[in-house]
Amino acid sequence: MTLFKQMALAISLIIIFILASVLVINYQSAKSDMIEALYENSVNNISSLQNKLSLTQGEQADIISTIDSEFDSGYYRLIEYRTADNSFSYKQEDKDPIEGVPQWFVKFTDIHIDPITADVNDGWTLLGKVTIIADPSSIYKGLYKNFIKLLYLFLLTVTIALVVVAIMLHFILKPLKRIQHQAEAILRNEFVIDNEEPYTTEFKEVSHAMNAMVKKVEEIFNKANEAARRNNELLYNDPVTKLFNRRYLILKLPELLELETKIEGGSILLIALNGAEHINEKLGRKDGDIFFFEFANILREFTQNIEDRLLARVNGTEFTLVLPDCESFMAQHLARKLFEGFEELLEQKELDPELITLNIGIFRYRPQSSVSEALTKADDALTKAKADTQQHIYIYEQKSNTPALPKEKWREILVESIEKEYFELRFWPILDMTTKEIKHKAMTFIINDNKGQNIPYGDFIGPAITLGLVSKIYLVALKKLLRKQHKEIASSIISIRLSNEFLKDAHAFEALNRLLKEHAKKLSCRLSFEVADNFAISNTPTVKGYVDLFRKFGFGFGINNFSGACGDYSYLKELNPDFIKADVSFLLDQTAESMHTLELVIKSLGIEIIASFVKTEEELQKLQKLKIDKIQGPITEKLL
Amino acid sequence: MTFLRLALLLVLFFGSSLNAEPLITKKLEERALKKYGPFAKNRFVAIDKKLLKKLQNVSEIKKLNTINTWVNYIHYASDRSVYGVSDYWATLYEFVGKNKGDCEDYTIAKYYILKELGIDPHKMKFAYVIYKSRRGKKISHMVLAYFKVPRPKTKDDILILGNNNRLVLPASKRPDLVKLVKMINGDTGPKSKKWKKLETNMKRKKL
Repeated sequence: MTLFKQMALAISLIIIFILASVLVINYQSAKSDMIEALYENSVNNISSLQNKLSLTQGEQADIISTIDSEFDSGYYRLIEYRTADNSFSYKQEDKDPIEGVPQWFVKFTDIHIDPITADVNDGWTLLGKVTIIADPSSIYKGLYKNFIKLLYLFLLTVTIALVVVAIMLHFILKPLKRIQHQAEAILRNEFVIDNEEPYTTEFKEVSHAMNAMVKKVEEIFNKANEAARRNNELLYNDPVTKLFNRRYLILKLPELLELETKIEGGSILLIALNGAEHINEKLGRKDGDIFFFEFANILREFTQNIEDRLLARVNGTEFTLVLPDCESFMAQHLARKLFEGFEELLEQKELDPELITLNIGIFRYRPQSSVSEALTKADDALTKAKADTQQHIYIYEQKSNTPALPKEKWREILVESIEKEYFELRFWPILDMTTKEIKHKAMTFIINDNKGQNIPYGDFIGPAITLGLVSKIYLVALKKLLRKQHKEIASSIISIRLSNEFLKDAHAFEALNRLLKEHAKKLSCRLSFEVADNFAISNTPTVKGYVDLFRKFGFGFGINNFSGACGDYSYLKELNPDFIKADVSFLLDQTAESMHTLELVIKSLGIEIIASFVKTEEELQKLQKLKIDKIQGPITEKLL
Repeated sequence: MTFLRLALLLVLFFGSSLNAEPLITKKLEERALKKYGPFAKNRFVAIDKKLLKKLQNVSEIKKLNTINTWVNYIHYASDRSVYGVSDYWATLYEFVGKNKGDCEDYTIAKYYILKELGIDPHKMKFAYVIYKSRRGKKISHMVLAYFKVPRPKTKDDILILGNNNRLVLPASKRPDLVKLVKMINGDTGPKSKKWKKLETNMKRKKL
């Protein structure tokens, strides 16, 4: 019950009580006054009737006529005459019910008028007795009128009082509304500070307390974020160049090599500086660091527009550049430019290019390459590059061993699948280790053409990206999910990973909006959408638009493939996801301290962590030590 | 302001005069036909056509005589035998519809018809009298007294319309009315309970 309703009820009750008291007091005094007045009037009447009847000298016709005329011209309930010896009596009586007043009121009021009796004499002789009962209709009518008037007054007073209360509450309770909004914002992990000062003292204090609380929570987040950023740097960054370190490279390389969107594979560049000792000798340690920093800037500058590139300083003199979608000639061109940039830098620093050289080994890998293979081959290439004192660059290109389907064939398959809706939905459980329950499932889909051909998501999404069909595929799959009731997912959370290509497509946004509008109300499950971490970091405003859309329909939102690469978690604050999904290897790679700060950030925002790609018991145990209870991956099948 | 009030009064006056329903209406005749049969209806038609329409422009004495004679054709019956109560003031419609009633009912019927014929109601009084029958029995009785002049000085100035005598005679020529107990005005006097009830019933045209 809202405060207004409660207060309105209380005020109505008070008014009812006051008016009911007035009504009762008024009714009782009016009733006794009226009965008294009627009695006095009756005494007057009987006195004059006594005189008239005395004049009849006992003549019966006279008595009758007198009583009739008196009864007809006055207000009586009864007039009765009886001779002293009971030999004659005459009575006029009105037995009609009381008019003009409802019967329930007559019953309720129940006025009892006592008869008045007087003697009728002729001279000294007693002729008889006359009895009258006055008519109480006027009392009933008077009381009823009063009652109705008070009732109207009551209704009017209540109405006015409620209006006044409503207006007053509106103004007095306005700050309370703002406090309520603030509290709701906190529940949504938003930090809203109310700058307007309420007039009412109590509310002022509550508002101050709320503001202080919001500020504190925000402070906790900021501190945790800062700590996380520092930890991240210590853990994954090279202090001199601010590039990633070897640890990060090893962590991320498998992922980059397997990037589903890069069907053709890419290139790894190992960049090694020979004669680095001369740099320190010539420039000194401090300026030597500056030299490396500037070289790192050259690397950054030349690669900044390449999507998904990874740049790491693996040791004092070696750098690794991973370009997941890069043909060998492109890599070679880039290497050449880097080489030129390096020579310019040497010149600028007046360093001897004979002593200090840059060698770049390039390995053009294919999607099937393993991490060790890639690194070994890249190392081989670097050795060859070092040997080539002319070029300083060597390319080792891996040949593709499985012939890929031609583009046109893929187009055929995908267009047919879109038209005939061949996409089959698959749901992977997310297990909650504390409750051993599955309340959350991740959705993916495959192509099943009903002719025995099954193509997994990972296989067709790459070609779909190349052919620009991703949005269409997603919309068909989503339609399939929304249109039909799926028994296996009833009353659970279903999260759907949206690909970056889908998110970038403005038409897809509109189509998704329409689709959700049409189906959102009829869903038996709760939807949740996932966006890749790197995309969320670099396209925070776009993703925010999607998050607002999901929230409008009451859907959840999460970040997958969480990498912590960014260091600054303020995008999490802005996007406010319900959960983040992180690769188990990432989670287990964290130091105790960095895990602690990550937890702090996430908890201050009320975000859940889900560990993905959990494969072994060992990983599971380690995760449980970290108190990460939500897991996804092949292990769930074993546990269930 | 005064003008406004005057205008309002005029509107009210015309409004009420326009709305004033005649004593006998077609609707009433139909209701009487349903309740009491064709004779009852004919009696109402007769009041309307033969009395109210035809006597509009005759002298007051002629009106008194005709109405007295006409009403006296209705049969006498006590209230107890007709209405089951000791005393009941019937409306003109109940009285004519049932074609019977007691002395009060005759008086009321004559009063309303004469009033409708334009006779000043202040001239007509309901008189409670003692009537002495030929056998010498005294009976409480009611007649309609008509004042020829506003302030009668002798019994000659008052005409009596009773149901025991088919003629309209001055009070002086009615030795059978041995005593006048009381005279009251009709609906122009102080409104007693009985009168209020009668007026309401008349307005409703209670049959």
